[in-house]
Amino acid sequence: MKFALYSGCVSKGGCPELYPAAVKVADRLGIELEELTDVGCNGAGVLPQYISDPINARTFAKAEKLGLPIMTICSTCQGVMTQANHRLIENPAYREEINREYLAEEGLEYQGTLEIKHLLWVLFEDLGIEKLQSMIQRPLTGLRISPFYGCYLRRPPEIMMPTPETRQRSTYLDKLIPILGAEFTDIAGKGKCCGFPILQSSEENSLAMAARHTGEAKGKGADAMVTPCPLCHLNLDGNQPRAEAQAGTPIGLPILHLPQFVALALGFDPDELGLSKHIVSTRAVETKVEMLS
Amino acid sequence: MQVTFDVFRKDPEPEAKPWRSNYTVELPEEATVTDGLLKIRDEVDGTLGFRASCVRGYCGECLIRVGPRNRLACTARVSDFGANGPIALNPVRIVPVLKDLVFDWDAFMWNKIKAVKPWLEPKDADGETPVSDAQMKDVRKAMSCYYCGLCDEGCTALPEDFNFLGPAALTKASRFVSDPRDKNTPARLKILEQAKGIWDCVHCFEASEHCPRHIDPTERIVAMRDLAFKTGITNEKVARHHTSFAASVKESGWVDEGRLAVESEGLTNIPGLIRLLPTAIKATIRGKAPLPYMHPKRPGADRIKRIFEKGEQKTR
Repeated sequence: MKFALYSGCVSKGGCPELYPAAVKVADRLGIELEELTDVGCNGAGVLPQYISDPINARTFAKAEKLGLPIMTICSTCQGVMTQANHRLIENPAYREEINREYLAEEGLEYQGTLEIKHLLWVLFEDLGIEKLQSMIQRPLTGLRISPFYGCYLRRPPEIMMPTPETRQRSTYLDKLIPILGAEFTDIAGKGKCCGFPILQSSEENSLAMAARHTGEAKGKGADAMVTPCPLCHLNLDGNQPRAEAQAGTPIGLPILHLPQFVALALGFDPDELGLSKHIVSTRAVETKVEMLS
Repeated sequence: MQVTFDVFRKDPEPEAKPWRSNYTVELPEEATVTDGLLKIRDEVDGTLGFRASCVRGYCGECLIRVGPRNRLACTARVSDFGANGPIALNPVRIVPVLKDLVFDWDAFMWNKIKAVKPWLEPKDADGETPVSDAQMKDVRKAMSCYYCGLCDEGCTALPEDFNFLGPAALTKASRFVSDPRDKNTPARLKILEQAKGIWDCVHCFEASEHCPRHIDPTERIVAMRDLAFKTGITNEKVARHHTSFAASVKESGWVDEGRLAVESEGLTNIPGLIRLLPTAIKATIRGKAPLPYMHPKRPGADRIKRIFEKGEQKTR
């Protein structure tokens, strides 16, 4: 089980706690990673397709050359790259044009065979839940967790989960929470947008979305929220104090990255997971977890 | 089969308090929610207000919430909902209600569609502008919208801001922006780039998922944003952000998040930069504030730069 790791920018920038936590968890689970370093930002839905599609085709060609599927640790990277891959696979003439005009001069060619998977999907589809369960050292009993997927991991469904089997992806995070021993605290907004994409253009709406989702989880008694998307984390954790100020109500909901949440169940010490870098204190979660040890 | 409906009621007076009515009627297995509503109005309660027109899933007039989801009442079969007690019928979210299940379509959609100038402004007003079938393919897709409002009902941004134009009106706008016969694309884009327009969309793909005609409203909004990027973004805040984002990827292969935060506010925008300070200080204390302009190049950054240059040249 080996993947080409596409780290994304945020896991080493705005959320520097994510990358090391993901690498540690993958190592513990026996997921071998070869990091793609000589590749560019996928565009994150900001760069126009006429620039991001060739950049992504180049990334895909490099992974294809290694003979490895890509693993991401970011819902936005996953969504943007899956959509680009879909266009390149479904439209061979378009792929050929990009190969000819952008990749050929570097001696690269994308043949359209690459698979791209988020760590969350890898846990269910490659590692397998039985294996994961067998490696749990510390069931997270009594910890109430709400899921937050990030829009790009589930939509558009015909591209992100195109077959009856992959349609299960829409509930992986819901299922993972009780698998790790925690209590699943459902929220209506788990598949909605966190607000991050419009932070510049419409800050008020963006912060209102962050307050709505974190507030909903808090109101339902969650101890924390878990997200597979570091961009969601930036808005839900990093901007939570501003969202609270705008909404005029305290929230104080810790937001865990997916690998941190898995790592806690695998028995990692909370101190190893970069939780001190979060803006909203995770102390209450750590205390609960430490009492389980 | 016996079906019970639990229906939202409200009188037209603005101050009137809503209440709920329960109706139990006998319906055939294949009956739709609209069949049920018509039977209630004809046989049980003539005061119940709801909309219905084509009764074949085409006109969109009967959009309501059936149970937890927005549906066209005339295509929602009662047998799919009735197993767990009464079927809850509600007006769509966030829209002013006129009476019972009848909501204000003008506020919900039509006023917004009018705001995007939904008519063609031909390049050649007197003669003909011949266009190829391929050029019209996308335009025709947008033209197949029948204004059912399901995309607006599913939109993530509208519940936060009812004045956002929403995917239905923006899809209508894209129908003219992408029409090769229209002469006003730059002016249209400029209007659409203002607050409440294309840049307020979170591109979460809810609209595309909700569209029953597979028109992909989200893709259309993204295409208009890409076009704005190509021709020069006129929304000042977005322009600063996107220009900085593109510049750092072009120069180093990936995003310089510190630089992006500072340049998005504007380097000469002192109040804006001061406003950033509390978040920046908190992030610095926690050891997670990326320092602007201290951003190493990725290996292969020159190849990314080359792709940018070629892409920009090609679309010029």
